[in-house]
Amino acid sequence: MSGTPLELVCPAGTPGALRAAVDAGADVVYLGFRDETNARNFPGLNFSRPELRDGLAYAHERGCRIYVAVNTFAAAGNPDPWHRAVDDAAELGADALILADIGLLDYARRRHPETRRHLSVQASASNPTAIAYYHEAFGVQRVVLPRVLTVTEIARLNAQIPVETEVFAFGGMCVMAEGRCVLSAYATGRSPNMNGVCSPASHVRYEQLGGRMVSRLGRFTINQFPDGEPAGYPTLCKGRFVAGGCAGYLFEEPTSLDASTVLPELMAAGVRALKIEGRQRGRAYIAEVVAAFRRAVDAAARGDPVPPLGLGGMTEGLRETTGAYAKTWR
Amino acid sequence: MTNEPNRGTPSLSPVLLAGFALRPLPLVLLQPALDLAMSLMRRRHSDVFERLDALENASFLIDPVDLPFCFTLRLGPAAPRLWAVGTGGDMESPSAVLRGPLLVLIRLLEGRMDGDAAFFSRDLAVEGDMEAVLTLRNAVDSGGIDLAEDLLSLFGPMNGPARRALGVAEALFARAERDLESVRAAFVASVEGRCDAQTARLRDLEDDLADLRTRMPRANAAGKRAAKPGAARL
Ligand code: SF4
Repeated sequence: MSGTPLELVCPAGTPGALRAAVDAGADVVYLGFRDETNARNFPGLNFSRPELRDGLAYAHERGCRIYVAVNTFAAAGNPDPWHRAVDDAAELGADALILADIGLLDYARRRHPETRRHLSVQASASNPTAIAYYHEAFGVQRVVLPRVLTVTEIARLNAQIPVETEVFAFGGMCVMAEGRCVLSAYATGRSPNMNGVCSPASHVRYEQLGGRMVSRLGRFTINQFPDGEPAGYPTLCKGRFVAGGCAGYLFEEPTSLDASTVLPELMAAGVRALKIEGRQRGRAYIAEVVAAFRRAVDAAARGDPVPPLGLGGMTEGLRETTGAYAKTWR
Repeated sequence: MTNEPNRGTPSLSPVLLAGFALRPLPLVLLQPALDLAMSLMRRRHSDVFERLDALENASFLIDPVDLPFCFTLRLGPAAPRLWAVGTGGDMESPSAVLRGPLLVLIRLLEGRMDGDAAFFSRDLAVEGDMEAVLTLRNAVDSGGIDLAEDLLSLFGPMNGPARRALGVAEALFARAERDLESVRAAFVASVEGRCDAQTARLRDLEDDLADLRTRMPRANAAGKRAAKPGAARL
């Protein structure tokens, strides 16, 4: 089956990564400002206003678009940084805003009606009623679906909603319903939803103990990796805990999503865009993953089999999964 | 953070051999080259240092596990400074430690390798203040550092001979890497052969054990039946 290529939406945490994504064939680069207004508020990451202006010029000259994520929830009593982020992104010429907070969606619709509004995965909208509401109330034109739906469920959903859908294709797995996970807040007092960072670096410690690398988050030991065993992120959802005398992964193993094998099915399900996760990753990741998915998306659009992408070396725990897309469990 | 560095066992590489050759060298002799490298970086990659401004008074111990010495990098209000130190952890509690083979560290510096991927594969080990590590990683990754081009810039527009010399050095290094890999493969071939044989033997034993386990309950049950007085009468 051939068809319109899926739009390839790629991450960038730095100007170098933005150029790498554009050069590797991204249709769109998404990014955020260097503060708590976006869900990847990592030290040394993200864009200043002048960097966004330069990035927009670089991308637009090469036919690539830029979406700006302002996708955390505005702090009570202090919406100004979020309003400024929306205003600056729109005025600098961003091609779309990725938003989650309904107050911010309303602000963007009234102040910048001409700038496209996409609903961030952080809003965790996954049923037709919720999505229709976001469309009617705030003029949302696209929704980024949480990573909890099967391909069949996505197809059913697409048949019932008036907006485009974007789904995650590759990268870190956030196994809980996005925007609602409190594991990081429980362990550290800081969450991706309010502070833009899950398991913040300030609370992470690695220690080499004999032949094991121990990762800790706040007061919790997350994992112990014997020498030679591939490692994972220090998030509670990927923790290896002892229960009933056995150490095991209670929620999810260290692994990354790779939906390349289900691209034809996602196209048939009516998905419009594919998102690659990883604004916190380096230029080498961006260049390699974007180029591989460019090949995959083009092959799927021609109706050719999707070639093996060989991205195993980029995955968490050096393992990949199709996640919920092909899940057989509930 | 551990005081006693656990450097692991470095693999056989040209860097490791060069490290042996460098062992007798007083580290202070490296200082002019390190100072020059830092001033070159500051001149050619000012954006990297702007991103590093967020780090006040951070210090890093950078430990190439295949060299007989480490580097320390100190950032702060004064000009950032890099110098070589021994491997005994003789830097006073650094903010963070980054440890890995020299080529991995160089590829990370040049953004040719992804830091998370190097961490997942255990090629890179980090300890200490992770905010500082991430800030350094993100700043450096964004900078588009290319050590060869940065060095060649010292020769100005007339850098043709230097560029050719660098090309020759790179080719020699690649050749030495391949040759050493062949040497390593030859050394471990007989050990690998023995390991394969042992693995096959172990698998056979496991199969035998599994077989015995499945037979045992049947044999036990038959024995119990035979021992019952009623059963004996049948
Ligand atoms: S703890 Fe895990 S599931 Fe929760 S927000 Fe973080 S990555 Fe997502």
